[in-house]
Amino acid sequence: MLTYVVRRLLIAIPTLWGVVTGAFIISRLLPGDPARIMAGLNATQQQVDRLRHQLGLDKPLWVQYQDYMGQLLHGNLGFSPHFSAPVAAQIAQRLPYTAELAVLATAIAVVVGVTIGVLAALRRNTLLDLILSAFAVFGVSMPVYWLGLMLILIFAIDLRALPAAGADSPQSVILPAVTLALFSIGLIARMTRASMLEVLGQDYVRTARAKGAPHRRVVLKHALRNAVLPILTAIGLQFGGLLGGAVLTESVFGWPGVGQLLVNSIFYRDYPMVQGLVLLFGVTYVVINLLVDLMYAYVDPRIRFD
Amino acid sequence: MRQRLLTVIALAGVLVAACGQSTSTPSPSSSKQGGTLTVAIGVAPDTLDPMRQTTTTIQNIVQMAVETLVQVNKQGQLEPLLATSWSHSSDGTTWTFTLRKGVKFSDGEPFNAQAVVTSIDRALDPTNVCPLCGQMPKFVQSVTATDSDHVQFTLNQPVATNFFLGNLSGVQFGILAPNTIQKGTPAYKDDEHPVGTGPYILQEYVSGDHVTMVRNPNYWGKKPAYKEQIIKIVPTAATREALLRADQAQVILDPPTADLPSLESDPNLKVLLAPDDRTIFISLDTVSTSQPLLQKVEVRQALNYAVNKAAIVKGTLYGAAVPMTAPMAPSLFGYCKMPDQYNYDPAKAKQLLQAAGAEGMTLKLISPTGRYIQDFQAAENVASYLRQVGINVEGPTTMDWPTYISTINVPPDKATTDAGLLGWAPGFLDASQQMVIFDGPLQPPKGLNTAYYNNPTVNNLISEAATQLNTTKRAAEYCQAEKIIWNDAPWIFLWVQKFPIAYSAKVTGVSYVPNESFNTIYAAPA
Repeated sequence: MLTYVVRRLLIAIPTLWGVVTGAFIISRLLPGDPARIMAGLNATQQQVDRLRHQLGLDKPLWVQYQDYMGQLLHGNLGFSPHFSAPVAAQIAQRLPYTAELAVLATAIAVVVGVTIGVLAALRRNTLLDLILSAFAVFGVSMPVYWLGLMLILIFAIDLRALPAAGADSPQSVILPAVTLALFSIGLIARMTRASMLEVLGQDYVRTARAKGAPHRRVVLKHALRNAVLPILTAIGLQFGGLLGGAVLTESVFGWPGVGQLLVNSIFYRDYPMVQGLVLLFGVTYVVINLLVDLMYAYVDPRIRFD
Repeated sequence: MRQRLLTVIALAGVLVAACGQSTSTPSPSSSKQGGTLTVAIGVAPDTLDPMRQTTTTIQNIVQMAVETLVQVNKQGQLEPLLATSWSHSSDGTTWTFTLRKGVKFSDGEPFNAQAVVTSIDRALDPTNVCPLCGQMPKFVQSVTATDSDHVQFTLNQPVATNFFLGNLSGVQFGILAPNTIQKGTPAYKDDEHPVGTGPYILQEYVSGDHVTMVRNPNYWGKKPAYKEQIIKIVPTAATREALLRADQAQVILDPPTADLPSLESDPNLKVLLAPDDRTIFISLDTVSTSQPLLQKVEVRQALNYAVNKAAIVKGTLYGAAVPMTAPMAPSLFGYCKMPDQYNYDPAKAKQLLQAAGAEGMTLKLISPTGRYIQDFQAAENVASYLRQVGINVEGPTTMDWPTYISTINVPPDKATTDAGLLGWAPGFLDASQQMVIFDGPLQPPKGLNTAYYNNPTVNNLISEAATQLNTTKRAAEYCQAEKIIWNDAPWIFLWVQKFPIAYSAKVTGVSYVPNESFNTIYAAPA
């Protein structure tokens, strides 16, 4: 197992190098002058030039790349010119918010999505299946922007029950987490339903029923456990996506996470911050994928990594 | 040096000094004390260091804690703040400021001349980043404390009164507690926790979420009504509106423009369309080789007559602007209303186009989206009006802001478009700050004269006015330049934006400065 983990982590290094290099190149290909954006329209050209020099943006591109990679190898994500602060410090301030949001949204999505998927599979082609499947499609199809505002309208303005925006009270996370979860609920529910339908038709499920196992045990122990592998993959990918992809939700709810940070960094052409965040998302995906693979072995004892 | 009192101690200033209250600060209609006032804004602070600031809204927040020697009031006029009076030598190169007595920084340090020198020197240090310091590092030779209550600025050349004082009213020249910005410390380069003399104290900034300001119990002037103000960062306009409607914020900046009528009709809310200094215009490439017809004055005038600005303001901007009546906003020193307005007159536009042989001319138009109030929608309207007089408009096309600026802010030989919608907010309320955009030598990359407008008479007037110490003559010089520019029409002159602020009817005293600034310092429960 340990050898497997080490091997996977080693394989991740060239992947992450590719991610960082890609982010470096793409951010430089974007039109726009970071020094001008940072200095503002009212700044003189002399001030803009001085700023460009201070930021090292007047150096040849390959020198900038060399400097950046050198920093990275020393564990330094660089310095954000927009925030005039270390990239790592800014990310460290914002990441807990996004992590909180992503974990809660995933928890909601897993509980609700798997429940809906299992129920829909068990009541296949009934009205309940139709309603649950329609709800799942609704979740996947609704634009986050619209859905978020509707939830704000109902729960913050009409019912005055929850905060509309910000992160200053424990209840603040509820609306953004539900908004974010709805998309994943749809996907997880559909995946669970399909996977359960496949498993429910298997011989071992019929055998379990034939030997008189209770319905609950058949569903949860025999069917769901075997159906869970593709669902786990979906959950893993969703979680990774939530960490990086909460951009719109964070904007709608004024949630101070890394999604908003990324959008602002792109608008301000804050290259080191964009690169740092892309690297963070790359690392997140690598780690989540690895964890999902390791969980396979836990869920399905037949899978061994040695 | 013999000092001659020229510009000193406006009567208002004396009164202010006497009663220890600034005239720019609106007095609340009630004297009720309040707990927390929540203000929702759309932009997140990149920095809270006054010296490094570039964003007006964030400057407004910093100004709650950090004061300047002079300030701009609600009428757009300069008035005393930490300096009670000032004078300059007859040649205009030595300025002496008398400082307010009995003032302390919120950390207990005394405010005095040495504190002023420390802060100004820091902002002018060429190794520091001060994007809004403008020409000041070039003009200011030295700043010295002549005694504990007097500061002397020695300049390399005379500069106009409004220009110099206007610069000093910017928060980049705010006075900070000297112990907090000692040379050699990290805060000298970047002070993210500015300590000033203001009515509020910066308590905390939670990155991307909120800034908390608490009332300064030892403030030298009138104490604010609210004990605490939380400035909440909410990028989505619709969510800011929701916060206001749910009473989770009492003041919001820039509500969704299309919702202005509904907010105005809500008895629980109030809408303030504050006067602003930001002009919105279509910059025309006056030296275009791809569309040489734009080099003709009559064609550019025709474009101005072709667009019904008042209708766009009413229908698309929901009243959040007023059509331009001169090449600058009325709140600027030096503004003078043009005798001949470009009123909507499609027949005249067609006639001018015909006379210039420009019927059916093609015009490439670009516009940003979301940078100014209803910008892209307005550009679409403009394009539609231009088509009605027979112009073949290509566009408007749009792009994100950094891309847009790098497209439009290029030397004439690199221009890829004929016309682009832009907004310009002067650094402070002085014509000099608007004229930089019409100054011939300040074409990109040296400046933002994106129309490549170059009229030697205008250039001379701008140079003369910059150092003109006689205020009346200076205003006349600007007025003359404005008339020439207006006639030359390097822009389609559109409108001066307003600054929409919506707030709860439970709050009073929400105010503004006509340079896109909000002021909630003296807000109070109604």
